Amino acid sequence: MAEPARRLEPQSVSDTSAKATPVILLVDDDEITRMGMAGRLKRLGYRVIEAGDGNAGLTAIRAQRPDLVILDWMMPGMDGPSVCEAIRADPELKSSQVVLMTAHDRPEQIAEGLSRGADDFLSKAASKQEVLARVQASLRSSALVRQIEHTRDDLDRSHRLLSAKQAELESELQSAADFVRAQLPLPGMPAAGVSMQWAYQPSLALGGDLFQVCSWGADALGLYILDASGHGVAAALRAVALMSFLREDNLAKAVGSLDPGAIITEANRLFPLTQDGEYFTLWVGRLDISSRMLSYATAGHSGAFLQAAGNGSRWLSMASLPLGFDPHSIFESMHTPLLSLDRLYLLSDGIYEAPSPTGELWGRPRLQATLEAHRSHSLGQSIADTMATARQWLAGDVFPDDVALLGLEMLESVTCHKERA
Amino acid sequence: MQITERRIGEAVILDLVGELTYANRATFKASVERSKASGVRHLILNMQGVRFLDSSALGTLALLTQSLNVTKGTIGLLNPQSYVKEILTLANLHQLLPVYHSEPEALAACSLRKAG
Repeated sequence: MAEPARRLEPQSVSDTSAKATPVILLVDDDEITRMGMAGRLKRLGYRVIEAGDGNAGLTAIRAQRPDLVILDWMMPGMDGPSVCEAIRADPELKSSQVVLMTAHDRPEQIAEGLSRGADDFLSKAASKQEVLARVQASLRSSALVRQIEHTRDDLDRSHRLLSAKQAELESELQSAADFVRAQLPLPGMPAAGVSMQWAYQPSLALGGDLFQVCSWGADALGLYILDASGHGVAAALRAVALMSFLREDNLAKAVGSLDPGAIITEANRLFPLTQDGEYFTLWVGRLDISSRMLSYATAGHSGAFLQAAGNGSRWLSMASLPLGFDPHSIFESMHTPLLSLDRLYLLSDGIYEAPSPTGELWGRPRLQATLEAHRSHSLGQSIADTMATARQWLAGDVFPDDVALLGLEMLESVTCHKERA
Repeated sequence: MQITERRIGEAVILDLVGELTYANRATFKASVERSKASGVRHLILNMQGVRFLDSSALGTLALLTQSLNVTKGTIGLLNPQSYVKEILTLANLHQLLPVYHSEPEALAACSLRKAG
């Protein structure tokens, strides 16, 4: 019988006290029994604190957080099972490891003790070996519970840190998105005789599809839509860089011309493929306000649709490579007159590549048919209705890609005499 | 995406199966880089088993074409199917990348380019 105890003793203490000597709280109103048990535990290498009744025991648990609580069953005032219940009811203490100590070990008493919150039982008459074995087992459980609690606390801390970081990033992204949105044109009348409306819905906070309609000199409107490949911050930053290039004052210096073909040819030279193969597609137009002659050129962007008031609706695109695919490409301008009530739509591929729940793309023919169906509505209404139809196709509100739909309408009053002429 | 490499003379045919997209761009590029590092100058991408190609893949192909041009190498696409063919045409990529309809035709083109 002595053999196992000799094997257990040194191992028990070293195992459970690798970092610190385990602390055991002993709660017993009988001083003699308490001193006896405390002595046995101390001789086994544990640090022992003592309490003479249930209330003092609870106070000691809160103050010292022992690794193990050994409670006498029979005590005046709060008995052992009541202390157990108080421990389990306290969120701060409920994971404590508790062993009930009794003079008897009747099955019904054991069942009651376990049901009221004890983890194990120890007979006052237990041998040294049994005391050691039960204390060791309880301390192992206690150590595991502490470890789980530490891991949980670490996870909670990490989660709080991540949440704070996430909120910070989202706030920064939102600021950047607000900045990008502020670059977009104000709906209304960008020039006499021209009205303009748009809808824009980036797939993430920041979009890589941007567009602009602005004055290029006193008698022309510059218009463009660009699509930076990829998504998110990197695509948006690259898109804003190209947008800066396309500012009128910069074009005067960098290109020396407001001809769309010349602009795209220079952009093709200045915006090569990135090391990751990211690139832009770009459509640029220049609308002469007096003559209503539209010059345009495109680098791989096929999102310009001329909705003619009469016959002749068509896509204003031509075979061309995206920017940077071939640094030697020359882009030529095409020319077409716009007539009264003609509408010119600039749009991103995200709208006609909206997938249905079965994966079928909406497609340009359906988009075109939808625009035609809404032809009699106001420009703004037509754009809103077309977006609504795309969302119906998508069966949702969140498009997988950036969606931009901009419309320009040539108003009747200003230049109708020129058209008749 | 599954990529199998077959070396035929100075050319390598990469048999691609699956989708060529942003998500597997790194796998594709690594495979191509391995071929280039082994001294291959003529690369033929067998697109027969490629179901889908996104805009990111177009950029990757354009970048690859540029880098092979620098090293006097060649690249061609073999048998692109339906949707992929449409995307390549829409993006006008055939201006940069020759498309072949059979393996002998692709290999013969490599020999001609080499001779030229």
